[in-house]
Amino acid sequence: MSFTWKSALEKLAEHRRIAEALGGPERVRRQHDQGRQTIRERIEAIAETFTEVGEFAGFGVRDASGAEVGRLSSSYVCGLATIDGRQVALGGEDFTVRAGAPQTYLDRYKGGMGGFVEDLAHSYRIPLVMFMEGIGGDVSAQDEVGHSYLVSSMSWKRSLDLLGEVPVLVGVLGSAAGGTAGRAVLSHFSVISSGSVMFAGGPPVVRRALGQEVDKHELGGAAMHTSVSGAIDNLVADEDEAIRQIRTVLGYLPQNVWELPPRGDRTDPVDRSCDAILDIIPENRRRPYRMRDAMAEVVDRDSFFEMGPEWGRSVITAFARIDGIPVGLIGNNPMHLAGALDASAAEKQIRFTDLCSTFHLPIVHFVDVPGFMVGPEAERGGVVRWGMRAIQALVEAEVPVVTIHVRKAYGMAVSATSDPDDLGLRIAWPSAEWGDMPIEGGVEAGFRREIEKADDPERFRREVEERLLAASDPWKTVEAFGMEMMIDPRETRRVAAQFLNASLNGMRTRLGPREKPWSMRP
Amino acid sequence: MNDVTAELTGSVWKVLVAEGARVEADEEIMILESMKMEIPVVAPLAGTVAALLVAEGDPVDAGTPLARIAE
Repeated sequence: MSFTWKSALEKLAEHRRIAEALGGPERVRRQHDQGRQTIRERIEAIAETFTEVGEFAGFGVRDASGAEVGRLSSSYVCGLATIDGRQVALGGEDFTVRAGAPQTYLDRYKGGMGGFVEDLAHSYRIPLVMFMEGIGGDVSAQDEVGHSYLVSSMSWKRSLDLLGEVPVLVGVLGSAAGGTAGRAVLSHFSVISSGSVMFAGGPPVVRRALGQEVDKHELGGAAMHTSVSGAIDNLVADEDEAIRQIRTVLGYLPQNVWELPPRGDRTDPVDRSCDAILDIIPENRRRPYRMRDAMAEVVDRDSFFEMGPEWGRSVITAFARIDGIPVGLIGNNPMHLAGALDASAAEKQIRFTDLCSTFHLPIVHFVDVPGFMVGPEAERGGVVRWGMRAIQALVEAEVPVVTIHVRKAYGMAVSATSDPDDLGLRIAWPSAEWGDMPIEGGVEAGFRREIEKADDPERFRREVEERLLAASDPWKTVEAFGMEMMIDPRETRRVAAQFLNASLNGMRTRLGPREKPWSMRP
Repeated sequence: MNDVTAELTGSVWKVLVAEGARVEADEEIMILESMKMEIPVVAPLAGTVAALLVAEGDPVDAGTPLARIAE
């Protein structure tokens, strides 16, 4: 048949109808009935513009005899989008087509490991935003392909390399299993909607492997992953909130590591006095307080956004802005384990430190830490190894660090709060106290023999404690320049803003990917 | 009847009210001790202390019932 424009454009329109139908009206209805949107609806909700790539990729649907009875569009939708005026690579599985299984039937993957959407982010150096909903590997692919393939014939390198190049932001909306789950965690920031699940293998696989019956929410539910495993950062109530949080985090980050993060507006005056701090920090040193409130008082109003609030709870990691400059906040949480750093808190802190270092966000650290967490549970969790890795992450970080000493600072954990190899700028509040170990336990441990031998052990112990307490007066350290600054806490915002603004001079000259001086994680 | 439970692992340091006492919402009824910190426990509503389920010195875990407040 000879070429005519009319027939060619009709054919294009016909293909478009197939693409828009996704997996067919019944499967789309089921998706909606289960409270979930289709991938096209999610893309529509998050993006101002969307130019689709691979719209017409698909496959033939065959009947039992092998004859083709129809065509379905591929199980992935992707393309170039703008989100809040920013160009991004955007994609997601189409769960209504083969439950979002990998596109083994195509010459080129659209998403997943090494797919077009990853190449787009890499080549143009733009953020990658993905909605994850898929069953991962699919045995029927083997049937089609005619032989079994090794997953190791495909490479994860692109997915991993992207983490050092551009922001990768993910929303798990539905079930993410196997390869889809794996892809989801290779991200800087991830959310999971309530009712969604994620696992290496689902209940049928668990049944076969372990003979165990397990409910999919017990196995890999959204609440568990955001509060126990920490595999996903934030729990969101629904798909709208997932989109809101992804857009919010994107706002703190640059398009790629070769740029500084976008400066926000500067409407909150830098010389605003942080008066509320005097009410937030109790005068009774044994009373906890909300560290989040102290942090929020210092940073630009309404700029505080927490990442991972429900796990690793003895540390708080949050994005914020100070005088419009995007920063990463790390703060110990005195309401949980008295702020002691355990393995999960250390792990959370490490990921966040790496993220800030990658995208050029200065770190502002609010210190109130009694030490690494102690006790059998902490030791079994590997607190010593994870705590040392947290120190390594800060030593390796290539961003300015401003350390604010709020209250306690004892022991090894303090090494994870500032950067003595770089500027080592530490700003104490008068409420701060520090030392190698807290006096009470320290005296009993360090002077045990002398205490036992004394005529009046109780009085001897008290005398030693009093002497050490006098020497532990923070002003003595300040006078020895063992602490860089002591300020009225109400000045914190003004002082921090001065230093952060000045640090931009250096940051502008140190863009691009991180160098990695340490190739080995201990 | 409202159960007040411990939010963390520690021990009961001070019990501030007696059974039968009237309390306001958010009034401190106990202080727990954990990791050398004093953690206040408050009444979730105004009412009467129907029962005290722990005594000073008792160890508690997250979820341990501490007291019952009747409206």
